[in-house]
Amino acid sequence: MDSLFLPRVARILEVRDETPDTRTFKVKPRDGNGLAFKPGQFLELSVFGHGEAPFCFASSPTRPEWIDVTVRRTGRLTDALHRLGPGDEVGVRGPCGNGFDLDAAAGRDLLFIGGGIGLPPLRGLIWNVLDERERFGRVTILYGARTPTDLVYKDELEVWAERGDVEFLVTVDRAEPGWDGTVGMVPTLFERTDLRPATTIAYVCGPPVMISFVVQDLMMRGFADERVITTLERMMQCGVGKCNHCAIGHCYVCRDGPVFNYRQIREMRE
Amino acid sequence: MEPRPTRVIAREQVDAWLARLLADSQVIAPTTSEFGDEVMAPVSSPAEVLWRFTNPLHPPKQFLLPQTEPLVAIRRDGDGWQARTLLDERPRVLFNLRPCDAAGLAFLRRVHEVEPPDTAVLRRAAALTVVCLACTEPCPQGFCICSGAGPFAVENFDIQLIDLGDALLAEAGSERGAAMLAAAGPLFRPATPVEMRLRMELEEQAKRGFGEETCHFASAMRRVSTGRVEETLWSAMADWCLECGACNFLCPTCYCFSVGDRCEDGGYLRCRTWDSCQYAAFTREASGHNPRAAHGDRVRRRFYHKVSAQYFQRDGAVGCVGCGRCVEACLGTTDMPAVVAALRQGVWRG
Repeated sequence: MDSLFLPRVARILEVRDETPDTRTFKVKPRDGNGLAFKPGQFLELSVFGHGEAPFCFASSPTRPEWIDVTVRRTGRLTDALHRLGPGDEVGVRGPCGNGFDLDAAAGRDLLFIGGGIGLPPLRGLIWNVLDERERFGRVTILYGARTPTDLVYKDELEVWAERGDVEFLVTVDRAEPGWDGTVGMVPTLFERTDLRPATTIAYVCGPPVMISFVVQDLMMRGFADERVITTLERMMQCGVGKCNHCAIGHCYVCRDGPVFNYRQIREMRE
Repeated sequence: MEPRPTRVIAREQVDAWLARLLADSQVIAPTTSEFGDEVMAPVSSPAEVLWRFTNPLHPPKQFLLPQTEPLVAIRRDGDGWQARTLLDERPRVLFNLRPCDAAGLAFLRRVHEVEPPDTAVLRRAAALTVVCLACTEPCPQGFCICSGAGPFAVENFDIQLIDLGDALLAEAGSERGAAMLAAAGPLFRPATPVEMRLRMELEEQAKRGFGEETCHFASAMRRVSTGRVEETLWSAMADWCLECGACNFLCPTCYCFSVGDRCEDGGYLRCRTWDSCQYAAFTREASGHNPRAAHGDRVRRRFYHKVSAQYFQRDGAVGCVGCGRCVEACLGTTDMPAVVAALRQGVWRG
């Protein structure tokens, strides 16, 4: 019998710098088997000797050759992870959480709104949608970051911008030399696209402040609260609804979430 | 309800029975530590087992959920890192456990049954045999009668002992308990009608001993579950909480934990360790953001988890067995009965 806490050993295949403090790690379980996950779910990633922490799957299950995990260096465990490179081993445990409901999104227009380091959970979902493009209506991706340096997946942003079947708009709060794109917070992009609240599901991920003003804006523009979907973040330990760190009322972000629609979030009580 | 198989053992035979239990498994019982404290600890002879004692300050939860429990052994060999599940399911008899603590263990077992079940904990729970000793008088701080956990247990035990003076009545509360009584053979004999009547009288007498002071969970639950508690009430209580975590660590039903790696020769042990929802770091995220930065929010969290209808529905009981340990240990005044009274009255007197 295996413990709920038993990690599988995985190998780092490649490490890519995204921003000065953020890297994407391509990992693959050493036993060769993948993890059957859905976009929006997360894994507990171990750096042996430093413990484990939850990170979203940043890649799509439609591309199962490896798992992408995008991590900002911000503490003891992520410091240790950033010191690792190709060939080094980490632990993976999961998938944890509910994930996005892709079947409910089928046939609808999809609006992805990402802020800064909030793009990774959306990126897995976006690639899943693009790999099954015919199942969905219009696809719009709006992405914002503080500065051009803080944009993650820069190569892919260009791919999305060039695709004819995706509308992609990007903005930064503060321009830097060489930036000739939009400047302003994410909602400034709302004016540049044709929002269709009646037929669209909006997926919003980013820093808490950004989520709250984006969601307010979407509400004012007529989005129903159950069609605005986000992922919640909480301090987590176990990832399986036992340790109580991530509880909001009697709801466990790790097990019942992290994906919630805005109606569910409004009804949370503690 | 089916009448329980009920047997009687003479006082002078108890040691012989205990000696048999000791031969088969580890026996954990109230005993006197080398420093003179009454504690729950493994005993090696029947003489070490206490029969008249104040319920030890530390509940027996450590025998189901150790304060620090190794979960996974992590080692490096020629093929790289290896991770291996660690299990501890040694048979243990918890002897002379009080009914409140038996209820606490049953509560902890139930919360680990919630999907996805923690099979390691459940298997350890299954290896625990509970022989509880009914309370014939209330303990100084106890209010088990309010949470239905005592003074006599109605469930959650394999055997319940009731002290009749020169003999002990033994009720089997499970098949395992009935089998244990059967296995003890002639050490036990059937109970007489007089003894059964005495048992009922002792229970009634114990219940009467609780007096007027009670802990009204129902009205507190109504207010907590519907969010009808003034924000200022929680922050006023927080002023009287020292955030020491003693209430959590001594509570027979608290089970919050953290997971971390400990260095061990040649590798690491991934361990879970008790944690406290009253600590600010409990919810502090890597970014520094803390959704429960306000101390009052943490006090509210503790009592939402303990007495809300939402958790009651999930766990089948309030998260309190009325043992009174938080009353004894709290350096401030935010123990369960005091907070429940404040929630009910809408006033905090500190």
